[in-house]
Amino acid sequence: MDKIFLIDLERSLVKTYSEFFRDLENKKCLNKIIKASNPYDVFLLVTRSLLAGVTVDLIDSDLSDSEIVRLGITDRDLSEKLELERIRIPDFEIFKESVLLGSKTWKIGLYTSGTTGRPKKVYHTFHTLARNVKIGSKYADNIWAFAYNPAHVAGVQVFFQALMNQNPIVFVFDLEKQKIPFALEKYKVTNISATPTFYRTILPLFEKPVETIYRVTLGGEKFDPGLEGELRKVFPNAKIVNIYASTEAGTLLSTDGEFFSIPAGKERYFKIAEDGELLVHKEYLGESTDVILDGEWYHTGDIVEFTEDGRIKFVGRKNEMINVGGYKVNPNEVEEEIKKINGVLDAYVYARKNQLTGNILVAEVVLKDKELNLQEMEKIIYENLRTSLQNWKIPRIIKFVDEIKLTRTGKKVRQ
Amino acid sequence: MGVEDVKEIVLKAVNKVLEKKGKQPLIELDENLSLRNDLGFDSLDLAELTVRIEDETGVDIFEHGVIDKISEVLERVKISG
Repeated sequence: MDKIFLIDLERSLVKTYSEFFRDLENKKCLNKIIKASNPYDVFLLVTRSLLAGVTVDLIDSDLSDSEIVRLGITDRDLSEKLELERIRIPDFEIFKESVLLGSKTWKIGLYTSGTTGRPKKVYHTFHTLARNVKIGSKYADNIWAFAYNPAHVAGVQVFFQALMNQNPIVFVFDLEKQKIPFALEKYKVTNISATPTFYRTILPLFEKPVETIYRVTLGGEKFDPGLEGELRKVFPNAKIVNIYASTEAGTLLSTDGEFFSIPAGKERYFKIAEDGELLVHKEYLGESTDVILDGEWYHTGDIVEFTEDGRIKFVGRKNEMINVGGYKVNPNEVEEEIKKINGVLDAYVYARKNQLTGNILVAEVVLKDKELNLQEMEKIIYENLRTSLQNWKIPRIIKFVDEIKLTRTGKKVRQ
Repeated sequence: MGVEDVKEIVLKAVNKVLEKKGKQPLIELDENLSLRNDLGFDSLDLAELTVRIEDETGVDIFEHGVIDKISEVLERVKISG
């Protein structure tokens, strides 16, 4: 029986596991930096690197040239290739063994957004990324709806969960929203993992509940208790799980409610700093995780509180990163791009709260020449930003002002 | 706030978002239009729409749950505004 590996409706692509194994066998070389717009290619290249036990980096396919420069990547880096030894994958059992063998030396670099200046690259091993991957006959009949960016940590984790159990993946991340309910129904999806924003956007489109889904996972954004009720209506047979994870640490905690319990016996690995920031002990992260530590403790950057019964409640993020629909945006980066535009004197980007995506970006712009036509300038600004920034980093609202009153930290903007 | 004022504000906000998507602005507001299906709004579009309407009217149209039709948008503003 030839199990399905991937159903990608947006690109009209269906691949079986046999085809996937053949394509893996035929891949003779690999780019050190994986950048692919077709999800099948991302899955293929990541898996091939894992089987080879080499180190690769994974970046978003839609990064602009200046964004890539900001990551510290050169053209030379992008064209660097690795020659690979031949492999044979006759069946899934051999595949799993080969993965476990390759995983001993495999490393993947994923990028986070830094607070100021350059975003940082974090290396993960299979051990840290697949920390919460469960393999077994119990999971053999799962069918996954893939709703994350395949180049981000959540996507890679879901991919491994599906891959190691030889489950089909129905790729819905960039599928036209109206088609998603049909896709979940038609392919009898059993598992789905996505950000709260993604669920909020698609739930109103379901005309009837999807009964086959037995597990709904949320991650990437602060949990929204109001959303849980909506999820239960559309996925009545599902257990709802909330995940706390980061690019740096992978998955740390999970819960079926709003508050997280620290796993029994692991209390000593978690503590709260004076300012309310959650710290995690490096031993809980695993030795191979390449994160910046403060002595023995990892700063999560999340402000938390303990509930009455000793569970953890998330209050918010510590630094100024803005969460737009699950994506972290560095407002400094957006301001820099706006200021590069001819006619712009200064810019200030901040967050505006809303129910749907948590935040949207608003930009206050000061023009060099106050006589310029504002409508024209707005058009020019968007034309420029569309080529220099990924979609969610572009401010939805632009306000032209005479001066920028204050920066995020309350100081006057310096030229 | 007069009914006509509300319609104008919503029309303006919808058109601002449509323009950004490179689509033709609406000449008038069809109450039966679905934001997601007819106008093709994604989550960022919807978020922008709510913020623009809130700036003009003080009303967060998604405050009591997510809605989809123009008629629902108008209702939310009229009730709270």
